Amino acid sequence: MDNITQIIITLATVLGSAGIWKFFEARLKVKAEEKKTELENNDGVQYRDDLKARVMRLEDLLVESNEKVLALTAEVHALRTEVLFLTKENERLRNIR
Amino acid sequence: MNLGNLKSEFLKSVHTLSNIWKYSDSQPTEITLAAALVFLAPIATYLEISFMPFFELFLISGGLYQISCVARGKLDCRVRAAFITFSLYFTSLIMYIINIGLPTPSHYGWVLLVLSSFSSLKRLKSEQLHRNG
Repeated sequence: MDNITQIIITLATVLGSAGIWKFFEARLKVKAEEKKTELENNDGVQYRDDLKARVMRLEDLLVESNEKVLALTAEVHALRTEVLFLTKENERLRNIR
Repeated sequence: MNLGNLKSEFLKSVHTLSNIWKYSDSQPTEITLAAALVFLAPIATYLEISFMPFFELFLISGGLYQISCVARGKLDCRVRAAFITFSLYFTSLIMYIINIGLPTPSHYGWVLLVLSSFSSLKRLKSEQLHRNG
């Protein structure tokens, strides 16, 4: 087989196999896309995503309520000190009379 | 063991084999195909068809490229190399058919190599699509 013939045959078959592969590649892509869509619309997956969103929302609420509890505790401490001081002052004024 | 159990065992085995065929790691196959492309294919085509320097150089380069891609572990490179390997095996098969045909059953090994390289390419492409989402 001369050089020109072997180059022509090589080029032709490489191009042919590229064509065959393009066809199969497109089919694989379509199948992968279908599988992805199917997975996204799957009830179990949707339920899982919903649960994830709920857990995240509850975690945010927990952090928020923890901050509120801390603020309220600080406020209660301040008020308790104030009440103690006023009670003592009241007692002192009553003794003066 | 009754017939129902036997049938379900058989179907399970077929399913397992199908999953292994579709999704298992293909590096060993890639290395074997590449090694055959570097050593076996040029010698076989030289002895059975004729001395084809351009084509045989392509075969050796393609095999070495595939081995280097597997060694580097880059998926895109491996897909490209697997396509080149498939093309080269397909070209070898066509060369055989045009020049001497497939005169003995052992020559059908070339068809097997084409199918093996194609399935390896398909497996790698599926992995690439899966990884890229």
